[in-house]
Amino acid sequence: MLLTSKLRDKKMDSKVNIRRLNTGVPGLDNLLGGGLPEFSFNLIAGTPGSGKTTLAHQIMFAQAKPDKRALFFTVMGEPPLKMLRYQQQFSFFDITKVNESIRFVNLSKDLMEGDFDVVFARIGQEVRDYAPSLVFVDSFRSVVQAGRAKEAGVSGLQRFVQQLGMQMTGWQATSFLIGEYLSPEAESSPIFTVADGILWLTQNLHRNSMVRKMQVVKMRGQSQAPGLHTFRMSDEGIRVFPRAIQKQDETFDSESKISRAQGRISMGISGLDQMLGGGLPMGYALLVVGPSGSGKTILSTEFLAEGVRRGETGVIAAFEKSPSQLLNIKLAELVKAEQVTVVNTRTLDLSIDETLSDLIAMVRKTKAKRMVIDSLSGFELALAPEFSEDFRGSLYRMIAQLTDMGITIVMIAELEDRYTDLRFSPYGSAFLADAIVVQRYVEMAGKLERVCSVVKVRGSDHSKDICLFSITDQGIVMGQPVTDYTGLLTGQPQLDGSEKGRAKRDTK
Amino acid sequence: MTMDTRNLLRHQIIKSLLAHHMAKGGGGAILLWEQLATQLISLIGEDGFVTLYDRSVVLAKAIFPWLELSAQPMQISHRFAELRSSLDGQSAAAANAANSLLLITFTDIIAALIGEEMSINTLHSAWGHVVDKQVKGQKNG
Repeated sequence: MLLTSKLRDKKMDSKVNIRRLNTGVPGLDNLLGGGLPEFSFNLIAGTPGSGKTTLAHQIMFAQAKPDKRALFFTVMGEPPLKMLRYQQQFSFFDITKVNESIRFVNLSKDLMEGDFDVVFARIGQEVRDYAPSLVFVDSFRSVVQAGRAKEAGVSGLQRFVQQLGMQMTGWQATSFLIGEYLSPEAESSPIFTVADGILWLTQNLHRNSMVRKMQVVKMRGQSQAPGLHTFRMSDEGIRVFPRAIQKQDETFDSESKISRAQGRISMGISGLDQMLGGGLPMGYALLVVGPSGSGKTILSTEFLAEGVRRGETGVIAAFEKSPSQLLNIKLAELVKAEQVTVVNTRTLDLSIDETLSDLIAMVRKTKAKRMVIDSLSGFELALAPEFSEDFRGSLYRMIAQLTDMGITIVMIAELEDRYTDLRFSPYGSAFLADAIVVQRYVEMAGKLERVCSVVKVRGSDHSKDICLFSITDQGIVMGQPVTDYTGLLTGQPQLDGSEKGRAKRDTK
Repeated sequence: MTMDTRNLLRHQIIKSLLAHHMAKGGGGAILLWEQLATQLISLIGEDGFVTLYDRSVVLAKAIFPWLELSAQPMQISHRFAELRSSLDGQSAAAANAANSLLLITFTDIIAALIGEEMSINTLHSAWGHVVDKQVKGQKNG
């Protein structure tokens, strides 16, 4: 029994342990399930202009060093002169590595003169001579097309790909074939069968907005993040934003959230804390709804300022105002003192995942405990139209991930100004929130007054009162519950003329 | 190192090499081109090399109209044969001046396209020791 167990342990120890290489592309290692398997044979595929060569270069420059050299074969795709010219614009392109750790080899002539065998022999010769740890062939599609033109056909290609895949692994090189393909489903190329990993890049136009996406179609031996994930290309190269996916072993249902809520935090407005039942439960997402000018941003400023008073930093995602436009002085001062950090997101082609990635990075950097999203409608407008269509679902995933990190969130939402009825929440976003506070204007004795009500605090008792409040130089000052009036919900309340109402006023 | 001094360095390398190869006649000049071609063709392909070479000849013809450039297919061997024939028909001084201008123009175009640093690296791979000597001299100076 003991012997069997020992043998089993020994067997476990002797199993191959595949090393994973860091790609040097932010977010991509997460997508791949921990990095690229060493000595794997990969395909980087996608439509023209989708960023295949840039991705390959970024991985190559991240990995290549004198004892881990890289060979980059260029074939008949993008002219190498242009490729070298344009790729140098990215910050990852380190010229000191060229020749020292990276060698570019052009195969056009071999391909023009010969068939797969000639190309294969040349690749083999170069790999033997240079002994690289990384090999790239760009564009592999050109090799395939040239092979077809010479009637080497599918069988020739199949043999070539199989030989190449086997040889690359035999040479102990992690290799990448780069090629233009339209969609994974439409392809029956042998390369799709032979490859250990397939990275698919696309760029989609939707109502004048362009969104780049990446899919790990296949990655042998490890669990990759499924589905399409957005990525952005900037001067720094490619950055991937893995899609926020609810983990199977985690639930974000109200019951588990309530059990996780440890203590309550003050909103910085004493009357409001009482209305919420003793402050906002930690890790909750509070939706503050109200018409323009009702005091939503001031309420969220008080929330952040209270955190700062308690030694907590905060983050505000400003989708409507730039940092220089932060309208209240108190918030501007908190930002200036670096107690609150602004994630300024005013471009109009964002994805939820990119925003989430920025927010999480900022929360980790500043160790923030409180966050304000100002506002949901501004956020929706900042997203590329493609993502606006699934705004609620994506927002749900984002809020779930942030609150799961223990962040308490205040989300601001604009409520349509309607004076004929009193609405409590905008349609569609109330389900996202664990708590809802509504601010409204009502006409009382010929004056516009601000009233506030707590509509919901999940798993907690809370005030059902509709309370007056005012905005002063000191911030929001909560007033008394409105008990003298009836018909508040109609937006046109009347002084309570009943005997009970008169008696109440007399008592006051 | 500024761009101007780097340009100067590249030009100095070429002049120094040509002075060294002058004694060998047209064959020596062609050898420099062949060494450069071996490195550059590996990087940018033969088509890329010939395109840039043709452009350099067109520009150099303004001063040395006797430089030949036929409409032959894009093969580097044809181009070098033409160059040798052009240089052989001239005095050593004129051949050296034309070849110097041609190499400088060619490397200027390369540097404009792929950057000075990568160009110097390529020259180093092609003409190793002479480039080293010039770079050392530049540093000491």
